[in-house]
Amino acid sequence: MAYWSPYDNNGGTCVAIAGSEYCVIAADTRLSTGYSILTREHTKMCQLSDKCVLASSGFQADIRALQKNLDARHQIYQHQHNKKMSCPAMAQLLSNTLYYKRFFPYYAFNVLGGLDNEGKGCVFTYDAVGSYERVGYSSQGTGQQLLMPVLDNQLQSASPLLLPSKESATPLSESEAVDLIMDIFASATERDIYTGDAVEIVVVNADGIRREVADLRKD
Amino acid sequence: MAMFMQQQTDDSSFKKNMLFRGQQDQSSALPSVGFVPAKSPTTHTQYPYVTGSSVLGIKYKDGVLIAADCGGSYGSTLRYKSVERLKAVGKSTVIGASGEISDFQQIMRYLDELTLKDKMWDDGNTLGPKEVHNYLCRVMYNHRNKFDPLWNTLILGGVKNGVKYLGMVSMIGVHFEENHVASGFGNHLARPIFRDEWKEDLSLEEGILLLEKCFRVLLYRDRSAVNKLQVANITAEGITISKPYALRTEWEYKAFQNPTQGVEGSW
Amino acid sequence: MFLTRSEYDRGVNTFSPEGRLFQVEYAIEAIKLGSTAVGLKTKEGVVLAVEKRITSPLLEPTSVEKIMEIDSHIGCAMSGLTADARTLVEHARVETQNHRFSYNEPMKVESMTQALCDLALRFGEGDDESMSRPFGVSLLIAGHDENGPCLYHTDPSGTFWQCNGKAIGSGSEGADTSLQEHYSKDMTLEEAETLALSTLKQVMEEKVTPNNVDIAKVAPTYHLYSPSEVEAVIARL
Repeated sequence: MAYWSPYDNNGGTCVAIAGSEYCVIAADTRLSTGYSILTREHTKMCQLSDKCVLASSGFQADIRALQKNLDARHQIYQHQHNKKMSCPAMAQLLSNTLYYKRFFPYYAFNVLGGLDNEGKGCVFTYDAVGSYERVGYSSQGTGQQLLMPVLDNQLQSASPLLLPSKESATPLSESEAVDLIMDIFASATERDIYTGDAVEIVVVNADGIRREVADLRKD
Repeated sequence: MAMFMQQQTDDSSFKKNMLFRGQQDQSSALPSVGFVPAKSPTTHTQYPYVTGSSVLGIKYKDGVLIAADCGGSYGSTLRYKSVERLKAVGKSTVIGASGEISDFQQIMRYLDELTLKDKMWDDGNTLGPKEVHNYLCRVMYNHRNKFDPLWNTLILGGVKNGVKYLGMVSMIGVHFEENHVASGFGNHLARPIFRDEWKEDLSLEEGILLLEKCFRVLLYRDRSAVNKLQVANITAEGITISKPYALRTEWEYKAFQNPTQGVEGSW
Repeated sequence: MFLTRSEYDRGVNTFSPEGRLFQVEYAIEAIKLGSTAVGLKTKEGVVLAVEKRITSPLLEPTSVEKIMEIDSHIGCAMSGLTADARTLVEHARVETQNHRFSYNEPMKVESMTQALCDLALRFGEGDDESMSRPFGVSLLIAGHDENGPCLYHTDPSGTFWQCNGKAIGSGSEGADTSLQEHYSKDMTLEEAETLALSTLKQVMEEKVTPNNVDIAKVAPTYHLYSPSEVEAVIARL
């Protein structure tokens, strides 16, 4: 038998897109190990506050521990400050939480989406040890390589390299963004064995949070 | 992948372990004047000794069924043949374990302590399957965090307040709920059958037949499976764990007598 | 003051039979000996003004520091044992910086005040790290956060109040009465500067000069007035 490893990669793909007054966060629901599918209905998403949703792929046990940790921290924050945590505040907290385990990392690849203090869509993207950046859109997980160039091409966002910098949110409408996400997940499912079964899409806007689920190929 | 194929042992790791012991011996052979060798980390808990194979679990119309055989393998030797791998926890939960038997016995000691303390509150509340599952997830994950895993895949089912519950947790803490679950080889051989044939309103008889069908496949294909199995039935009325019994098998097929006959190529 | 004074006034963690913690009450008394400090809230921001007792012409006035910055959006004025206040301010600075580190946002003024008051009551005969007696200082905390400008008053009992205007220290009774008469919610920051300083002037024994008062504002960031800025306010009295 191979040496015991404390890690596994349970696969999955996460995407988030920021619009000027909405944010769409999506992830598939397949949970795998090696070539086996463990379950077809496992959410990778976690609603951390009324304006903040986390989607993570990687090692499921670490992801769950991370989500529980952030949930508890948010509860304490609400007691101490009499308010819900903003998405940028949660982004910083997530980074610190990941870096705190720098030498035994959470094997979790996160995208955090929501609305910022001005009500604009915001997306934060991470590596496993807490490096993070605010961007207009991002994807993480096993289907990342398949999705990212399509997002680059289709979202019509300003390049982050432009100087002076421009608004990074996509000019696409909310429904166009949701349709794009359905299409790219269907595409990723074609080639990535770890992505499939169903895609869970969460839309955050001024009205609140809306969730929908669309079927994907199960093979 | 590795964690769901616990019963296999291959030679390479065995050799590595021998090498490791050799190194330890060398250090103790050094002159002992004021020399304290650095304590090397514990690694003997990172592989199993006596293992149980697949456990299967399904929900059915009135509750949950969990099945496991009574084998305990020492590497590839079928060393023990009357191991109980299904255990009741409280009045509404059953746990089935594959993997290291001694670690499972340790887990049962944790659970006995947990349920005893819970009983001592005497408040009328009891731990249901959801609570026990959550507890076990933390136990497994905390052990993996200490690099001292409990070498098991646990399947857990129960009924409480009219709600059926079926879930599993692996030795590194990966966990989920499902309508049908299987550990070890069962994940490869039984779950495809479950996915074809399982439905929400299976009767008790249909459920047991489905489990036996899957077990028969495992008996034929998994060398560490033993034809002596138990089935636990958890309903709102309570828990019944059957006495061990055998399945009728048929080994007289021509293909079994000389499996390589007529096969092209070489093996 | 306390006619029933008895052995109960010694232990910091012993209630008297009437239910009082004498050491805490004495600490509150200590503030009444301190120099006067005034805080006023307006819609534009908060003004703090303090009296500095320059006891000798040989004293360097800038070394008497009774208004301190806690974070860029919070300042505080003190009265009582100013040495104790330094411990509290240091604690508050750590709290606000920790909050910035954890959440990349400024700390709410109320949360910071609460954190200070938690420390204020963390005294006793316990471990070596903690304070052995109550802090003999009262603070006026001026700040600006997502709820706009705000002013808090804390005392040695670890209680805090939110105020529109407040005076602490030896002249606080007269100053408070004067503030209640002249304060209006709609006053400008400039009017508040003038009111704060004229209130201070009423209760001060010496003539007001740029040397013996300090003024600061949080509107919306902390700023301690230079002598010439103080002079400009004095000129308006």
